[in-house]
Amino acid sequence: MKAFAVAVICAVAIGIAASYILSSSQRFAWQAFSTSSARVSQPGTNLVGPRWTGDATGPHDAVAGETTAPKRS
Amino acid sequence: MRRQTTRIRTFVAAAMLAGFAGTAALPALAQQSAPPTTTPTTAPNPTADSVNEDMLFKQGPKIGGRISIPDQKAANLIQPQGREWRGFHETWMPWIGAAAILGMVALLGLFYFTRGRIRMEHSEESGRKILRFNGFERFTHWMTATCFIILALSGLNYIFGKRLLMPVIGPDAFATLSQWAKYAHVYLAWPFMLGIVFMFVVWLRDNIPNRIDLQWIKAGGGFIGKGHPHAERFNAGQKVVFWMVAGFGTAMGVTGLMMLFPFAATDINGMQIMQGIHSLIGVAFIAAILAHIYIGSLGMEGAYDAMGSGKVDLAWARAHHDLWVEKEQARTASGPQLRTHHAPAE
Repeated sequence: MKAFAVAVICAVAIGIAASYILSSSQRFAWQAFSTSSARVSQPGTNLVGPRWTGDATGPHDAVAGETTAPKRS
Repeated sequence: MRRQTTRIRTFVAAAMLAGFAGTAALPALAQQSAPPTTTPTTAPNPTADSVNEDMLFKQGPKIGGRISIPDQKAANLIQPQGREWRGFHETWMPWIGAAAILGMVALLGLFYFTRGRIRMEHSEESGRKILRFNGFERFTHWMTATCFIILALSGLNYIFGKRLLMPVIGPDAFATLSQWAKYAHVYLAWPFMLGIVFMFVVWLRDNIPNRIDLQWIKAGGGFIGKGHPHAERFNAGQKVVFWMVAGFGTAMGVTGLMMLFPFAATDINGMQIMQGIHSLIGVAFIAAILAHIYIGSLGMEGAYDAMGSGKVDLAWARAHHDLWVEKEQARTASGPQLRTHHAPAE
């Protein structure tokens, strides 16, 4: 039982460590491959917004500001 | 007088309009009634002369465009192998996976209800214990095993989730579950690969095939008939499991890394092939490990203790691994090993 508990704890610990290491070496495609040219809106949004109301806030705005954990595809 | 003039003008205008309409309709009528001409035309036919898919595929296996962004892979427009890959994992793969896993479950059920549980054979040595696996061996086994179970379930979710789970729990819950399953699959792959390396190093020496394995196989491993064939620390069946885990584990790790780091070692076609291999080996791996779990728990009385507490009944060990017991007893009886190797045969 002790070996099992230690094994589970180690597996979770190594998994968490892997997540941090991979997160530090990965970027979104729109970050990795974006150009230096002008971009008029955030990726995933358009100028009029998803409901055509003029509110162009989209799902990637929070990610662009790095306020939440990045979500990878 | 004025009214009469207006009538005349109206009549003339109507006559002119009718004449114009008749003149305009003449070519159309002529076209319908005229026999088909075979006179060659020099006018270009845009439909026949335009670039089509077949023509482009004669120039290369993929059809690409021209883009200005740095990611040149985005210029790929059509990759026909992608259709084959999609057809494989959307039509063939669920059937292959179901056949492999449900087939193994059915076989194990058949075996259980016909052969029954392999009972422990008691002797005068019953009740005395011998250490079969030390703490590190059990640690590396359980670390690999727990990761494997999570990897297997999250991997099966890729194949069967949207077909079996989503109709039950709904798309929102399924999306959340799949996202976390994907994280678990990607991150727990690392301790799994580490466990595979540990197990390979720790148990390689005891898993080299030899002549005793042939005799064990000829005797049916004790499953057929009465009595137990001779076996060392691992019998031929366990050696098959060891090499299967080492081989499949390595293959799953390599193909998984190819997908975890896209385009690092191969292109899109290569990654599709890697995904196909990964899923095929994955379901075979799951089916084989189901048999391993069965024989290590329900199928054989006393077998679980080897990985549970690490100590097994000496009578059980004598019946299933007699050569190993003799070797251990000879080694512990020589003295110094008693302190370092915890295998007191008592």
